[in-house]
Amino acid sequence: MKFSCSSCTSADKKMECFVADLSVETSFHRVESQEVKCGFGAQGVCCRLCSNGPCRITPNSPRGICGANSDQIVVRNFLRAVAAGSGCYIHVVENTARNLKNTAQAKGQLKGLAALERLANILGIGGDDAYQKAINIADAILADLYKPAFEPMELVEKLAYAPRYKRWEELGILPHGAKSEVFNGVVKTSTNLNSDPVEMLLHCLRLGISTGLYGLQLTNFLNDILLGEPEIRMAPVGLRVINPDYINIMITGHQHSIFAHLQDMLTQPDVVEKAKAAGAKGFKLVGCTCVGQDLQLRGAHYTEVFDGHAGNNYISEAVLATGGIDAVLSEFNCTLPGIETVCDQLQIKQICLDSIAKKANAQLMQFDFAQRDKISNDIIDAIIDAYKTRRGNIKMNLLPDHGNDQTLTGVSETSLKSFLGDTWQPLIELIAAGQIKGLAGVVGCSNLTAGGHDVLTVELTKELIAKDILVLSAGCSSGGIENCGLMMPEAAELAGPKLKAVCKQLGIPPVLNFGPCLAIGRLEIVAAEVAEALGVDIPQLPLVVSAPQWLEEQALADGAFALALGLPLHLGLPPFITGSNVAVQVLCEDMKSLTGGQVLINADAAESAKMLDEIIIQKRKALNLPTEA
Amino acid sequence: MKRIMVDAQNCKGCKNCSIACMQSHRKDNPGGFHSLDLADPANESRNLILLNGNDEYKPLFCRHCAQPECVKACMSGAMEKDSKTGYVRHNAAKCASCFMCVMSCPYGVIKPDRATNSYIVKCDFCQQDGDDPCCVKACRSGAIYVKEVQQ
Repeated sequence: MKFSCSSCTSADKKMECFVADLSVETSFHRVESQEVKCGFGAQGVCCRLCSNGPCRITPNSPRGICGANSDQIVVRNFLRAVAAGSGCYIHVVENTARNLKNTAQAKGQLKGLAALERLANILGIGGDDAYQKAINIADAILADLYKPAFEPMELVEKLAYAPRYKRWEELGILPHGAKSEVFNGVVKTSTNLNSDPVEMLLHCLRLGISTGLYGLQLTNFLNDILLGEPEIRMAPVGLRVINPDYINIMITGHQHSIFAHLQDMLTQPDVVEKAKAAGAKGFKLVGCTCVGQDLQLRGAHYTEVFDGHAGNNYISEAVLATGGIDAVLSEFNCTLPGIETVCDQLQIKQICLDSIAKKANAQLMQFDFAQRDKISNDIIDAIIDAYKTRRGNIKMNLLPDHGNDQTLTGVSETSLKSFLGDTWQPLIELIAAGQIKGLAGVVGCSNLTAGGHDVLTVELTKELIAKDILVLSAGCSSGGIENCGLMMPEAAELAGPKLKAVCKQLGIPPVLNFGPCLAIGRLEIVAAEVAEALGVDIPQLPLVVSAPQWLEEQALADGAFALALGLPLHLGLPPFITGSNVAVQVLCEDMKSLTGGQVLINADAAESAKMLDEIIIQKRKALNLPTEA
Repeated sequence: MKRIMVDAQNCKGCKNCSIACMQSHRKDNPGGFHSLDLADPANESRNLILLNGNDEYKPLFCRHCAQPECVKACMSGAMEKDSKTGYVRHNAAKCASCFMCVMSCPYGVIKPDRATNSYIVKCDFCQQDGDDPCCVKACRSGAIYVKEVQQ
């Protein structure tokens, strides 16, 4: 049975055909029935903050019953979304810091001691030994997160690039306790409180800073210490990574450290024996969503248990529909509700490790460090049971020719710098000479509405590399770009002549894969370090950011960080703000004089690339770098 | 001949029909509906949704009536029933803005423009699109639909 004669298009044609023929319903099939969008919601002018609502703005009703105009309604909704998105990342860094602290207290394995030293130096935190240092670092981070709304966080100045810190101080947007900033964002936007759209937009920037420095950058640092640092290597991607000879566990979420213990157990001889007794060769983790990207990034340390990254958020239903997955282990978003019906049909066991992201079908096995042995054992037994029940009953529908074997992965601020000879100088020289015209971070999510699945992301990336702009990717955007082959060295052929020559000389693809959305924080460290090496501020760099297919509230919090850093930020679809002239004016124009950043909204790949290219050329001119006539 | 039919029981009051109408008739540069100025009277909708006395939605659309009162009331010949298509068309060049059509419409959907009160705003069945009218295409609840009728 087919669910729809018209399934969503994808930049990944093999995936598009695979999904169109599936006998389970996926997100791709539901796009058509949700095609018509409510215009009031789309423009952000629907207000449900009180029982007088929903109020909507029309020519006959330019104000809600309370008197709120379109600017107030739009910006309240927007700040709520940014606060929620920030809260998600702050939850992630909070759990990661707790896991590091618990591991260090138990004198467990810290796989990234060099990363520990680097972070200890940045933060100026000591300790008698590595464990004590890790504990002190985790404590300092947690103390900052829990500070009240009237106390600034202490690590901000140490983490931020100095010229940026100064500008944030001038603008009065230095964040106070990260959780309190989320709290204040929610309170400000409740019924009949804040009605000042500009004040609320500045609060978005403050949330952006706490999100970026803590939720993104510190989470990466902590994971690097706990789980091992990224190493550049080639790895397979796509549905080909699913090997039905193994008991396969699909992982979704953003909190890699939560299943660090399980991950190590899965390769223990006694556990492998259990799998063999059930008829499999052992256990494999199949990467999906950002946590899969995170594991792929550190894959050099996990070659035995991890076969590769299958794809991004909207591939998860297709990964399950192969029949080769026996269990889903989820700990956060982006775990689509749509996977639950697929799991039901294909008898796939769902286990959830964090009640914050409890799935209706999943058995909750809340991660508790003290109980880690028992929890991991229970998970293993439950998954073996599922394997025994379902295998043989469920027909395999694998797609072994999907994806590729040679995607370059493991790129981080540290591994990239090391690749360049422990200095940014080679990159700076290539940019200065115009061999690389500029840098573009193509980041964020995947959605199904900006042209289709990964369509704008992949098309924009192709346009940018053709203009000799080196693309750095982090987030579900990477999952799409890698499955489409643009992170293989052969993709150099698609780059402009200068970038192509650089790629061929270095043996790299024109798109560098930083992994999960958390790694947006890594891109921003690269930006700060390159700016520092050049002696300029971040907004002066020939660097643009695009979240062409941003999906969710977390992406908006990431975007707020990009704006706080003073970067031009392109979005494929507007974030429900176009109903407000003030929001559009502040975000797209006035931001230039506030932080140096700006929002650009365009859903056309060629037009968007042209706009971003022009900005890069302007920035090159301002730095007196050569530009083509 | 095609007519817009209304099944008020299905209406959810989302006003997608109104936004689609505004977008279809906007006077500024056409763009996606994200850029439609929802507060500009120049973009006003030709249809509307009211509530009846029982808090039920009452979608009001020009019915392009078989015996159009607006045509009967029009002294200048601006309002015409097209014998081929069945559409009731308004020719602004002939219109004297006497608003007798407004007075006579049994559904109350013909109206003077809100910004200047000087010209008639009326459904044109989105004839420039050659397809079903935009309001019908935007309706997700089945409250309005196009039906072929004999007149």
